[in-house]
Amino acid sequence: MKFYKDHYDVIVIGGALAGLSSALMLADKGKDVLVLERHNLPGGIATSFVRGGIEIEAALHEMMSIGPEGNRLKVGKFLEDMGIHIDWLKVPEAYHASLPGLEVTLHPGFETFAREIDAEVPGSYDKVMKVLSLCHTVFDSVNELSIHPMSKVQMLLKHEAFVKTAGYSTQEVLDTFGLPQKVLDLLAPYWIYVGSGFKDLPFTIFSVLMADYIGYGSYIPRKFSHEMSLKMAERAEELGVQIEYRQQVEKILAKDGKVYGVRTARGDEIYADYVISAAYPNKVYTSMIEPISEVPEKALKMVNGRRLSLTAFSVIMILDKTAEELGIKDYSIFIGDTMDTDELYQDLAGLGPYRYLTCICHNLGNEEATPPGTCSFSITTLPRADGWKTVSADDYDRVKHEVAKQMIGDMSRYLGVDLLDHILEIVIETPMTVAHYTGMWNGCIYGYAHTMEDHIVARLQTAEAEKFFEGLEFAGAHQISGDGMGPAVTNGRKAAKNVLDDMKKKEAAK
Amino acid sequence: MKIKGFIKDVGGASRVTKARLAAFENASPASVKDDPIGNVAREWHPGKIDLTVTEIRTASPTSKTVRFARPDGGKLPPFYAGQFISLDFEIDGKIIQRPYSISSAPYEAREGNGFVEITVRRSKGDGFVADYVNDTLAVGTAVKGNMGLGQFYYEPLRDSRHIMALAGGVGITPFVSMAKEIAHGTMDADLTILYGSVASDDIILKDTLASLEGDRVHVVNVLSGDEPDWAGERGFLTAELIKKYAPDDASYFICGPQVMYRFLRGEIGKLGVPKRRIRFEVFGQAKDITAFDGYPVEKKDNTYTLTVVRGIHEDEIPAKATESLVVALERAGIRIETACRSGECGFCRTKVLKGDFFVCPESDGRRGADRDFGYVHACAAYPLSDMTIKIPIE
Repeated sequence: MKFYKDHYDVIVIGGALAGLSSALMLADKGKDVLVLERHNLPGGIATSFVRGGIEIEAALHEMMSIGPEGNRLKVGKFLEDMGIHIDWLKVPEAYHASLPGLEVTLHPGFETFAREIDAEVPGSYDKVMKVLSLCHTVFDSVNELSIHPMSKVQMLLKHEAFVKTAGYSTQEVLDTFGLPQKVLDLLAPYWIYVGSGFKDLPFTIFSVLMADYIGYGSYIPRKFSHEMSLKMAERAEELGVQIEYRQQVEKILAKDGKVYGVRTARGDEIYADYVISAAYPNKVYTSMIEPISEVPEKALKMVNGRRLSLTAFSVIMILDKTAEELGIKDYSIFIGDTMDTDELYQDLAGLGPYRYLTCICHNLGNEEATPPGTCSFSITTLPRADGWKTVSADDYDRVKHEVAKQMIGDMSRYLGVDLLDHILEIVIETPMTVAHYTGMWNGCIYGYAHTMEDHIVARLQTAEAEKFFEGLEFAGAHQISGDGMGPAVTNGRKAAKNVLDDMKKKEAAK
Repeated sequence: MKIKGFIKDVGGASRVTKARLAAFENASPASVKDDPIGNVAREWHPGKIDLTVTEIRTASPTSKTVRFARPDGGKLPPFYAGQFISLDFEIDGKIIQRPYSISSAPYEAREGNGFVEITVRRSKGDGFVADYVNDTLAVGTAVKGNMGLGQFYYEPLRDSRHIMALAGGVGITPFVSMAKEIAHGTMDADLTILYGSVASDDIILKDTLASLEGDRVHVVNVLSGDEPDWAGERGFLTAELIKKYAPDDASYFICGPQVMYRFLRGEIGKLGVPKRRIRFEVFGQAKDITAFDGYPVEKKDNTYTLTVVRGIHEDEIPAKATESLVVALERAGIRIETACRSGECGFCRTKVLKGDFFVCPESDGRRGADRDFGYVHACAAYPLSDMTIKIPIE
């Protein structure tokens, strides 16, 4: 029986947001694409599941880079350009911050955000606006430069703020504004998503994150992230992409520095001119390339020279009371006993108790998220893999319950309600859960950490030199734009663009 | 603008680029395959594993306990007491899958020579796999199993520490696993089992259960049949009987035949137990799909043509209106991965490209967006016209 064509233009390993974005863009240009996904549905962690008859979001807190209808940002626009229409719901606030001496709800929109901080720290409005405006300038430059590269001189002329802040950490740049500590604390909560303390986090990344989230707000699909993943997969199939689920790719076939196909766990050998891998470079260069002797030492040094970013630990609960009855007032709550991000980052290397938590109540962004009389409430921390790497299979259940219990206790104290008395359904997602469902290396959902040694600007500069195989591209959180579901789409598009550029080049050479 | 000084400011990009290249240059060239988190995930959920039947014992006059172990005697995956195993049996040259609650305890799987057991009752003529297990399966037979599946287990963060088990017939098996684990000291809960059988001969694993009774495990057998010598409880698991044995704030775990589920929904309702304290094991494959509301009975005798797409390959097979898509596929020898066979777990998630179907309303565990795009869980979907479906290549 023959299940595959003799040859494809491109094989995409992994049918999550990055891989599907690659497939969509390639199919849109008429390329023959095969997507192989190990799970039985698309999306990776951008998915949902059903427990006790209730559908539950698996991972998405909020999508960035969507923007309002009529004024979509890059991810929102890309999806629409591809003919994908998501039923987006705007998340009502930026976040509620519960930090030492602070209990503040902040809303998106620079002026609103700055005014709300000013209400807490009078006289800070202008300074906050200056920070946000600098972030926005850098954000605009990053967006433009990712499409139109230019010379260094031109860059300095047209993108001065971007150029001049590129070499500094978030801490170094924020220090120049002379902001009161309380203001700094209120600007920091989204830090958790980028995986480095401010002393090591490039200001460029902080800017992009702040400008996007605070400037334009965030969105969620009405039918959970599975709506987004499924609509992308359905559209890809409409455009002629062949998607095969439950197909684990074990090997990427290579000869003389060029890839020519893959082999699946089932034993199918499938051939293509290009392979786009969502599997981490760590896995590809240590165990997937066949023969492994094809892997150059430089590729191994590259993966060993990078620091894996964060993984995730989430306690997701369906509670038998409404958000109002439980006193939950905000869609997202960031809560910590300090806002020293470098200290918190160290804390994430352990197994808890974690001192910084993010809570999401989906019903406050989507009234129909759960049946009447109930609500969903999740408590998340984004630990580093380090601590979890020490947990054995026999200890796993005990450790996961201890950590979850601690987090539920922390939030129960905060809300003044014992959440343990209200649990209809509970799901504890751990780094191991991520590894189980997606195969992601060490359960890391966020690729490589954005650090001063692995800076996005440097990533762009050296991208060409990091291509170790002709025809092999990567799409996933481990790529240039880094982590999160929005960047996953951007990373996928970038991989497709590299393939299309290469095809053109080869076509021209003929 | 100025951060630290013109020269330093404009040199940022080359500075960070140099730093990155230096980090690579100084990195080890070793091939580091180290993925301990992935390893733990694979130890818990290795997927289909090879198993061998190592022992078959009588569990009651009409049922047998079958023990499986790895061919090399190695440890089995961890699981929670109450979960099930999905087994692949080769019967008459066809692979047939069935889920069975595990009747052995988690600790028994994790010891040297670890094993896992199921206990299966001979059917009354309607369950050919149950009869195969009872009559034909022999020590030494090789099967494949995927274990540690399902949501029917004690979750200490959600459930009351006192479990009130309501079991009927072969539905006792997950509670045997729990009782063993509690008696072994590796599960911290109290368990009271109200176990309904027709006759004392029907009580499955009677001696095992009796041997597990103690401070934390209590077993109350309830007979519905007319047995003059029986000194214990009689009748059905009524609200009154449950009240007599249930402690305050117990979590109710219910496993048994479909008729018992319908009956107990009513009885539990009378007790005013909060919803979060009630957990039903999955419904199982509907015994008679035509009995459900909304099923077009006039179509029940029809057989349709099911076009099955796998990759670029297509097959046409017959499919009866009263049998799920999964059954049609298995009859035709086309592999589809299933687990719960109750419409809940989604292992058999299938895209309907064309045609009408009926989804068992007791067993519709689909995601909202999946419904919108015509996905079904094939174990709970029945053809009502010729259909085209796309399933994964196995």
